[in-house]
Amino acid sequence: MSLIHLLLFPGGLFLLLVGLLYQWLDRKLVARYQNRIGPRLFQPLADTVKLLAKEEIVPHGVHRGLFVILPVIGLASALTAALYVPMVGFAPAYSFNGDLIVTVYLLSVLTLALGLAGANTLDRFSLVGATRTLTQLFSYEAPFLLALLGPSLIVGTWQIGEINAYAAKNLWLIVTQPIGFVVALVGLMGKLELPPFDAPEAETEIVSGAMTEYSGRGYAIFRLGKDVELVIGLTLVAAFYLGGLSNPLEFILKTLAILLVMAGLQSLFARLRIDQTVGLWWRLGALLALIQLLIILVVKVAL
Amino acid sequence: MMDYHFALKQVEEILQPFSSEVRRPQEHQIDFVMGAENLNAAVEALFLAQWGYLSAITCLDHPPVKDENGQESEGSLEVIYHFCRNAAVAGLRVSVPYSHPHVPTICNWIPSATLYERELMELFGVVVDDTPSTERLVTSDDWPEGVYPMRKTFSGFSQESR
Amino acid sequence: MESEIKTDNRFVVPIGPQHPALKEPGHFEFDVDGEVVTGASIRLGFVHRGIEKLAEQRNYIQDLYLFERICGICSHIHATAFAVAVEKLAGVVVPPRAQAIRTIVAELERIHSHMLWLGVAAHEGGFDTLFMYSWRDRETVMDLLETIAGNRVNYSANLIGGVKFDIDDSQRDAILRGIDFLDQRARYYLKVVESDETFLGRTRGVGKMTRGEAEILGAVGPTARASGVARDVRLEAPYIGYADYPVVLVLDDRGDLEARFSVRILELFESFRLIREILSRMPKGELSTRVPRRIPEGEIVLRVEAPRGELYYYVKSNGSEMPERVKVRTPSLCNWASVASLAVGHKLADMPMLLAGIDPCFSCNDRLVTLRRQDTAQTMTWEDLRQYGIQYYRGKRVCP
Repeated sequence: MSLIHLLLFPGGLFLLLVGLLYQWLDRKLVARYQNRIGPRLFQPLADTVKLLAKEEIVPHGVHRGLFVILPVIGLASALTAALYVPMVGFAPAYSFNGDLIVTVYLLSVLTLALGLAGANTLDRFSLVGATRTLTQLFSYEAPFLLALLGPSLIVGTWQIGEINAYAAKNLWLIVTQPIGFVVALVGLMGKLELPPFDAPEAETEIVSGAMTEYSGRGYAIFRLGKDVELVIGLTLVAAFYLGGLSNPLEFILKTLAILLVMAGLQSLFARLRIDQTVGLWWRLGALLALIQLLIILVVKVAL
Repeated sequence: MMDYHFALKQVEEILQPFSSEVRRPQEHQIDFVMGAENLNAAVEALFLAQWGYLSAITCLDHPPVKDENGQESEGSLEVIYHFCRNAAVAGLRVSVPYSHPHVPTICNWIPSATLYERELMELFGVVVDDTPSTERLVTSDDWPEGVYPMRKTFSGFSQESR
Repeated sequence: MESEIKTDNRFVVPIGPQHPALKEPGHFEFDVDGEVVTGASIRLGFVHRGIEKLAEQRNYIQDLYLFERICGICSHIHATAFAVAVEKLAGVVVPPRAQAIRTIVAELERIHSHMLWLGVAAHEGGFDTLFMYSWRDRETVMDLLETIAGNRVNYSANLIGGVKFDIDDSQRDAILRGIDFLDQRARYYLKVVESDETFLGRTRGVGKMTRGEAEILGAVGPTARASGVARDVRLEAPYIGYADYPVVLVLDDRGDLEARFSVRILELFESFRLIREILSRMPKGELSTRVPRRIPEGEIVLRVEAPRGELYYYVKSNGSEMPERVKVRTPSLCNWASVASLAVGHKLADMPMLLAGIDPCFSCNDRLVTLRRQDTAQTMTWEDLRQYGIQYYRGKRVCP
């Protein structure tokens, strides 16, 4: 049973396919917002197959073991995180008190792996990209966690499954905690390095950031990791703020709704410089998340 | 618009002392032939009078010609500094022989001239004294020393030398 | 690479000759300290084609088509400059209708160039939506050029002594309709670049160049006009139809990237107005006049206002069918100096936008590639490279 959970559903194969599907949806939506036609349905799959078939070049001067293993660690941790979230509206495969913290940090491992992969090479674009990736990690991580802490305080548990069940029975938390929702949504975009927070991989400046030296397999795995993270992130935000996920239909509708908004935000803004990103998060994001938290605490004590 | 006559008169007054000959190749153009030693003073005078701006530096190659006696004259390079003010164009023409192709730099007055001066050095083999940068600008890193592609005598590399 | 990082304490970020920010080859080295740029150097000439040398071995008619191919974006203005210079040397007068048509094509080209630039500059700043929108709308002007010239890029409108095609009533109406649409779109873009907060965050106060600096660094065209330098060849030394249909100077004294955006968009409106005006009162008459094959001896400096700034042509004729010397100085060359000196002190993230801000156009190939492997430099010709590629992949047993 646990092997099925790990390899097929909700981790493993199923999640990879859903990840590719959501990548397609994201690209297609952004393309439509920009008045382009966008990719066809099987494009992400075709990209992945093509990348896997390509020669993997290990550049001079890198630690070979790290270079090969870092993408795998990134993807594995993202897949593991899927076991604790209500994927497709079903109850999480595993659950224990405190799995929220574990999930959030499993998601950060991918970013960390990316940063280390960049710092591992001698390429200047990778080095600058790695610096930016890690800088960005430190800027959005705290506000994002605080934004997920709001619902968990209301419910009084650290368990994702219980928060999900609570959200399904009560008023949608987006109504009572709008600030938290916004911070969580934008935090997710920062986590996924989507525009306008794509300074770590800004192609016009540093080619592809930390992933510049990656080709073939390693690159495909990093990309898959990001797709998986996108699905898990959407699931978390939908479960916490949009009235929980109790069946597949709800899952599809609610995650799609968030993706629609996210794609809109992606096409609306120019890229922020890394200093602007950090400034935005610490001056505004963290502050908003703290205010939200304060309101929750005051209300909770008063009640 | 049509006040270029006035501008031409002005520049003639400024540059007359430095030039040995004044030519009018076109209605809106005036050329001053001068020696390399007068160039810096002439550019300074233009700069101080704030007359126009440097539009470009052009170089002409005059290869050696044989006269009827079979005597070969020495080839020369003619560097023309074109300054523009409204429609008026003033050319400062400096001729230097192949044997001593030296012109002074004008970068102390016009820093943006460095690009043109580097081009002169690479493509024509004019030596610009005291120019701030002598790095290659246009030709490739493996371009042979002493081969100047824009001279009339250059007609490409033979197949073997490649 | 390793030794380079360790021996001197500079951290150099190379941009180009192949880099996603540059669609054409140029090489820039930025010394960075963290994210801040502390030094910059430029290397050009990766595609030097020796056009000036080629021109000396071709006759005037062939040269016209050669110069049209210097730049893929502003092809018309190069051919115009050369044609006007040769016409003046030959002492012929070109019919007014031909001059009006040249002016219309030149202004359509300016619209096409500025809209292309708007897209590229927005893309450098990571604002891909504006990039896609402006390039979509740019298709309108490309279609117009195709309608009148039959070609989208090298319209080849010029002859020495006139133009090749006429603009008839249906084409005139098509142009007016297209201009009306673009006018409305340009208004929208102006609003975007002047009010979008994230975009202003990338442009306002970035790459500020004062009027004095612009003059000393020799900036030309919209880059100089965005710094308050009132210089436009169309006004100073009117050529083709600009004496009959004067333009109004667009100036901005802010000098930063925002100003360069707004100056170029405002110039679009000026081009729209000019095209409407010329089309409303087109002179009647012939399209071309005869020009002798041999051009009398003489020399001329001809300056025109290309979309990127002052374009300088020097033509010297020796009485034969071929020019003695042609010198071309493109506006981008003048603007490089401004990039190198503005770069210092800015963030690395601003570099692509600063580079794009002057609307660079790399022109000039030696068909040689130099490989640098540690200390040994190895020179390969295209044929060697091709063979090397074939051998490499045979060894790998991948393809061919």
